[in-house]
Amino acid sequence: MKSEERRLKIEMGTVHMVCPSRSSPFALRSCFSVGALFLSFASTAFASAGTAIDRGVMTAAPAGKLEWLLFNLVAGGVVASVIGVCVSRNIVRMAVWLFICLGSVAMLYFMLAANFLGAIQLIVYAGGTLVLLIFGVMLTSKSPWVRWEAPLVEMIAAGVVCVTLLVSLWAVLLRTTWSGLESVSPGASLATIGEKLINVYLVPFEVAGVLLMIVMVGAAHLARQEE
Amino acid sequence: MTIGLTHYLVVAAVLFCGGLFTMMTKRNAVGILIGVELVLTSSILNFVAFDRYLGKGRVDGQITGLFIIVLAAAEAAIAVAICINVYKNLSTVDVDRATRLQG
Amino acid sequence: MNGHSYELALAAGVLSPLFSFWALVFLGPRMGKPIAGWFGVILGMGVPLAMAAYVLLGWLGLDAAARAQLTVNAIRLHWAYLGSVPVTIGVKLDSLTVAMFFMVTFIAFWIFFFSVGYMAGHSDEVDHQSKYHRFFAYLSLFGFSMLGLVVSSSLLFLFIFWELVGLCSYLLIGFYFDRQYATRAAMKAFITNRVGDFGFIIGLMLVYFHLHTLDLDEAARNFAAQHASGTGIFANTFALFGFALPTLMGIGLFCGAMGKSAQFPLHVWLPDAMAGPTPVSALIHAATMVAAGVYLVARVFRLMTPDALMFISTIGCLTLFLMALIAIVQTDIKKCLAYSTLSQLGYMIFGLGCGAWIAALFHLITHAFFKAMLFLGSGQVIEGCHHEQDMRKMGGLIKKMPVTGITFLIGVLAIAGFGIPGTSIGLGGFFSKDEILAVAYARAFQWDDVKKFESSHERGGEEHHSTENTPQQNGELNDPKSKVRMAKIESGEQFRLVSDEPPHKAAAASPETTEPEHSAHRMASIFAGTKPLPSWMFWLAIATAYITPFYMMRAWWMTFMGKPRDEHVHHHAHESSLMFIPLIVLAGGTLVSSYFLFRPLIADASAVASAAPMVLATDGAVHTQAISAAHHWLEYGVGFAFAIGFIFAIAIYARGLEIARRIQNLFFVWPVHALLVHKYYIDEIYDLVWVKGCLLVANICRFFDTWIVDLVFDTLAAGTERLAAFSGLVLDNHGVDGVVNGVASTSMDVSDVLRGPQTGRIRNYVLFAAGAATMIIVLLLWVGVRSATAVTP
Repeated sequence: MKSEERRLKIEMGTVHMVCPSRSSPFALRSCFSVGALFLSFASTAFASAGTAIDRGVMTAAPAGKLEWLLFNLVAGGVVASVIGVCVSRNIVRMAVWLFICLGSVAMLYFMLAANFLGAIQLIVYAGGTLVLLIFGVMLTSKSPWVRWEAPLVEMIAAGVVCVTLLVSLWAVLLRTTWSGLESVSPGASLATIGEKLINVYLVPFEVAGVLLMIVMVGAAHLARQEE
Repeated sequence: MTIGLTHYLVVAAVLFCGGLFTMMTKRNAVGILIGVELVLTSSILNFVAFDRYLGKGRVDGQITGLFIIVLAAAEAAIAVAICINVYKNLSTVDVDRATRLQG
Repeated sequence: MNGHSYELALAAGVLSPLFSFWALVFLGPRMGKPIAGWFGVILGMGVPLAMAAYVLLGWLGLDAAARAQLTVNAIRLHWAYLGSVPVTIGVKLDSLTVAMFFMVTFIAFWIFFFSVGYMAGHSDEVDHQSKYHRFFAYLSLFGFSMLGLVVSSSLLFLFIFWELVGLCSYLLIGFYFDRQYATRAAMKAFITNRVGDFGFIIGLMLVYFHLHTLDLDEAARNFAAQHASGTGIFANTFALFGFALPTLMGIGLFCGAMGKSAQFPLHVWLPDAMAGPTPVSALIHAATMVAAGVYLVARVFRLMTPDALMFISTIGCLTLFLMALIAIVQTDIKKCLAYSTLSQLGYMIFGLGCGAWIAALFHLITHAFFKAMLFLGSGQVIEGCHHEQDMRKMGGLIKKMPVTGITFLIGVLAIAGFGIPGTSIGLGGFFSKDEILAVAYARAFQWDDVKKFESSHERGGEEHHSTENTPQQNGELNDPKSKVRMAKIESGEQFRLVSDEPPHKAAAASPETTEPEHSAHRMASIFAGTKPLPSWMFWLAIATAYITPFYMMRAWWMTFMGKPRDEHVHHHAHESSLMFIPLIVLAGGTLVSSYFLFRPLIADASAVASAAPMVLATDGAVHTQAISAAHHWLEYGVGFAFAIGFIFAIAIYARGLEIARRIQNLFFVWPVHALLVHKYYIDEIYDLVWVKGCLLVANICRFFDTWIVDLVFDTLAAGTERLAAFSGLVLDNHGVDGVVNGVASTSMDVSDVLRGPQTGRIRNYVLFAAGAATMIIVLLLWVGVRSATAVTP
């Protein structure tokens, strides 16, 4: 891939942000836009569906075929995007696959009636964290299309280990019978979550706040401009 | 054709193994970070699935998932900052070349 | 009357200084020297003054019913919710607010005006940046906070602005932050205020927790309701130092006022605060900020119990007397004024504690006028004498600065309570101080009459009126004829204006609370502490009325009359022309004495205060009979006080300082003199108790650390060392080394083997870890399968 670069001089003139040039692959852009469109439509649909299920409007259908169909679609999306992450050699493509993967997982949350968590996943994870990652890519790579791969031996070993692990986990799951499966808990309202957060989980909640503050300071400190 | 707990757990297992594989095979620091994110996501999915099917209406699983997201965001921020720092010092984010601390 | 225009005008008046502050912060350096100042004058105070004038004029044109309507209709926005309790934000629109708002803006405007000229010569450069615009930015911020404090309808917002005022005073006292004494003084003011605010916060918490609201009116309503039914805070049996919880709440709120209004134990910051520029002293430490404390007590008056009021009057009484004594021996012109401010604040607080609500606030406003003028005059003197503040080096300045001298004299007359007894002629201080003393007298000596009246009053009223500003009553107050009569009658007496009505009917019309019978026993317990005012308080207040003219005349005479004592200072003395405009305006304000303007306004607002459920025996219709008799001879007593004080001062200081020096060296005077010069050694005591106390504790800890902890560890270490030496000789060389060497060579061999996987690459470690985990899972699975197959047939 051609590594044409256009350097944008950011203020202070020391950090050079490197953007993909005009010849950046069309596929990448379309990937982004199609993925984003797909996610936005689908998440809206899923969120409303999830709400409808919780309200008892749509009890019959999703319990049967529709749920099965939806699950398979979404789970297929997850698996496909995970494989995409695994096999991509290009770091930007990996990020795009991760984007799709996180979005699909958010849809799984909607199906699990965890609407709030799904929304948070879309906002924080697929939104914030991913943007952060892409910034990381942009800021740290002379050319975003650089590929570094592990030696073939390691690749094979990793593949063997992972596949074995997956198969054995699957086997464990199939052999396990869960007690208490008969009742499926309804989706929790935001109020329930909020109330629980500031009652039972108050201390972790506060600690998380402190953690975020420390992280903010720490990240700013680590990434600051050297004098 | 009912979708149950196991289905979700299998998807989570796929996510986990995929994340693991990504961590093992990428040399780009950001790539490793992506693997970590996948693993974290799989754990959230586990929590949420268990909460739905075994939680008996308590939302503990969802809240734990929330905390993991917070943690992941924090971790990503720090990791990207470290990447930038590494890049400033070594002009690369290839983890194989970041060996200055190695004996 | 058009809807909410008054509230909006007041809100605009509050926000304009804030805008001015930000504009000056960002654009100030570009505006340059005079322009930044004029900008601050116009936007920072000119606009609020215009708004205040608009509201005041409109307000004076309204009849009582319309005013009450406006007060009730005022907008309350819900700013936030604390649980289910809304925190409201709004403008408290009543006569007190209007009067205070006008007073603050009027005085502050002229002080801003004064500062334009004064600060041009006093804002030295720091880091090549002029501090001129910074001064006006701070002043604007101060204006914002003070005006916000005045209009706040909720205790929470009052508290926020309260803290902002504290911050501004910190910034302005420490304006010369490159001089150490200024930063010290700023710090002292801030910390002392924090001590008071601690009590304030406790009071706020009690209000929120027990009255379930932070809105002033609602809190008062709830307090009255809880008092009537004996529930809520009155059902609580908690007590501290013998004070019941409602009393503690009142004392807590008062603690904030103690800090800001510099009452006795917390007064130490105010004299030091003179380290700031002189306009700041005039604005903050004389006219407005210290008034905030008094204003607060007036606002929360309805939450006060008789015990709390007794506490307040005790503190006020101590302050007014002790500080007046210190003022006698001060030689620094600004400090002398500062101590007189403290003493006058003591009067106000004392008055509030006695229940002389109207008189205290009236005194607050008259005092603000003449004290601002006195401070500006002192600034003029200091400016003219090249930063000389020592009065001993002045003298004879009246020829060099006649305008300043005469306006200063007017201020002296006003604070001394100049007036002709038996007539309505007099300066503001004459009436206001007289009223406070009359109420104190009635509470101290005519208690039986008060009680008698109270009991007849209780029989008269059946209904519990918690509403304030009942139209009927305000109608009486605002009757133009009554204004004239009111001028001669004491604060609590307004109900006597309708003396053709039978007394019980008048009482029924008043919003005084009468207690339902079922809570009679509770009343007894709460009012167990209600006592007549101890007579010593009254005597101290009277004595101070004689001391005040003395030290004020002393200051004036030392500065302006007599022979010049320092040729150098006298030679250079001059009067700058622009700066005496504010002096003349304020002197005019003092002379016309706001009496005809503010007295009726405050009397109108007092309907609010007399709605206080707990204050049966202190305000309102109660004193009617008692005070009128006391009033006349008190008027003469106070009226001649100024003459006696002046005569003494002139007698002693007319011929220079020689007589004073001789007096202070008399064998029985000098210990007192030393005590006063050192301000009762309070700073030293604080230093001893708090600063030295902290150091002492720290030293004890250090001693423990060095002598006990370290000793133990040193002994342990020495013992270990011996043991090590022994084991090194005997065991190590012979026994251990052999083993170790063997182990070392073995591990060398092993590590050669193990180095292979130790690549130093994280992904390899992940691989190993995951591989190991996988193996364990597979193993367990295998075992599980086998056992399962073994169990199942």
